[in-house]
Amino acid sequence: MPPSRPTPIVLLLLFALTAVSSSPLPPEDGIRVVSAEKRIDLTGPIVKVFLTLKVENAPGASDASQVLLAFTPTEVEHLAILKATRAEGKRKKKAYVPLSVEASDLAATPNGARLYSVLLSTPLKPGEKTTIEVLYVLTHTLEPFPAEIGQSESQLVYFRDSAVLLSPYHCLEQVTYIKMPSNRIESFTRVDPTSRAGTELKYGIYSNQMPNTYLPILVHYENNRPFAVVEELARKVEISHWGNVQITEQYKLKHGGARHKGVFSRLEYQSRPSMSGMSSFKNLLARLPPRVHSVYYRDEIGNISSSHLRTDSHKSELEIEPRYPLFGGWHCTFTIGYGLPLQDFVFESDDGRRYINLTFGCPLLDTVVDDLTIKVVLPEGSKNPQPSVPFETEQHIEMSYSYLDVVGRTTVVLKKKNVVGEHNVPFQVHYEFNPIFMLAEPMMLISAVFLFFVACIAYLHMDLSIRKSL
Amino acid sequence: MQAANSISTPVPVAWYPTLAVAMVAVGLMLTASFFIYEATSSRKSHSLAKEITTGALASVFLGFGSLFVLLGSGVYV
Repeated sequence: MPPSRPTPIVLLLLFALTAVSSSPLPPEDGIRVVSAEKRIDLTGPIVKVFLTLKVENAPGASDASQVLLAFTPTEVEHLAILKATRAEGKRKKKAYVPLSVEASDLAATPNGARLYSVLLSTPLKPGEKTTIEVLYVLTHTLEPFPAEIGQSESQLVYFRDSAVLLSPYHCLEQVTYIKMPSNRIESFTRVDPTSRAGTELKYGIYSNQMPNTYLPILVHYENNRPFAVVEELARKVEISHWGNVQITEQYKLKHGGARHKGVFSRLEYQSRPSMSGMSSFKNLLARLPPRVHSVYYRDEIGNISSSHLRTDSHKSELEIEPRYPLFGGWHCTFTIGYGLPLQDFVFESDDGRRYINLTFGCPLLDTVVDDLTIKVVLPEGSKNPQPSVPFETEQHIEMSYSYLDVVGRTTVVLKKKNVVGEHNVPFQVHYEFNPIFMLAEPMMLISAVFLFFVACIAYLHMDLSIRKSL
Repeated sequence: MQAANSISTPVPVAWYPTLAVAMVAVGLMLTASFFIYEATSSRKSHSLAKEITTGALASVFLGFGSLFVLLGSGVYV
């Protein structure tokens, strides 16, 4: 779905609104952005933006407890993660303190721009300055153009953004740097002063911008990095207190770039690798925890042997190669499973509850997951499961049935959409477990065998003869 | 801050295959002695107490043995 472009008429309206209207300003109307530096990283399939804002609270205004960031509606739709930190302390004692960011429902902004507020840990006094660093990631915003390419063509994409930072505050000085993966830039909008140095574009330095200004730019450049998109990922984590955590992951992988048109010539692909299949990818790397065992990689046909596992003491790397290279619009489905030792992941907390410490997200590097479901299957007899994830997820509890189960195993299901590599942070699931429940399984086996012996004894003691034996 | 005491298994994991073989072997020997007792003594002189104890002991060993067989072969129940 192509993102909507502000037409010239709408743009005019925007300028008119900012010049004429008295749009209700946010409560912190004393804040001004002294300088803003925006670094956009376009070297992969996702857009990573690092924004450094130096804000100042005007003398005579009230204490500011939040700083607002504005995004266009299309950006908000594709926003995967938004993080903010603030440097505190002097030179040597600089510590980056993470700040919480919330969607804000404040005053209407022109053209439906949405505001997010960064809550400051200590309010900003009048006349004070502070520096805030913001990182946000946008997925599915790069539009391949041409939308369909042949096997031996390079992939070119459109990137749309604003030359000027969209902000509800006055901006005294700002500059934007855009980094490309290669030297080939087909075209870019010029909003003076604009300059280009090799793989980097510079839009700036712009001075004295009014609040809510938006100058759309369009950059058309070459991006042959693998556009791996995992449409659905279902991860199941099974905990067994007998010593193993088994993880099974089912992937639906797709190449999300320019669609492939025409025939696929295997001969051309293999004989001239530098000229053919530049936008395709044939292997993916998954980062797994160390001390992993029994790794398998299979799909519905059977085992896929084209994979390599390299382990060391800090991590394991699984390099998988699907049965065919993936070109634009092609899909492939596969399952990866592995086992991990229990003592690395399950711990006992101070209040007697147990918890499992796992990494959220997808182990495949540099991929976007459209729909992620994580199921944590707790052992039989677990009570009061409580997940604690550092960001918003949909959670619910259900029951799963597995080997030697009587009542079923409590399962915690976490769902999230639009997951990127920055979401690979640890999360915990707490639960209560009485160790006596571990005996339930051998007791079940013992009673089954004992039933057989009792049946033998009963048969041997019964007299089934028709005539009395002598 | 939570204490990081990792949970350990009741039996060291490295012992699973050995324990499996040992327990199943003892269980099968007890089963054999149960059936030998049944076969050698006459119907009237069967002592129920002896049968039940041998049966119970054999089932305990066979039950734990089959649990360790399952765990040792990778089916972590």
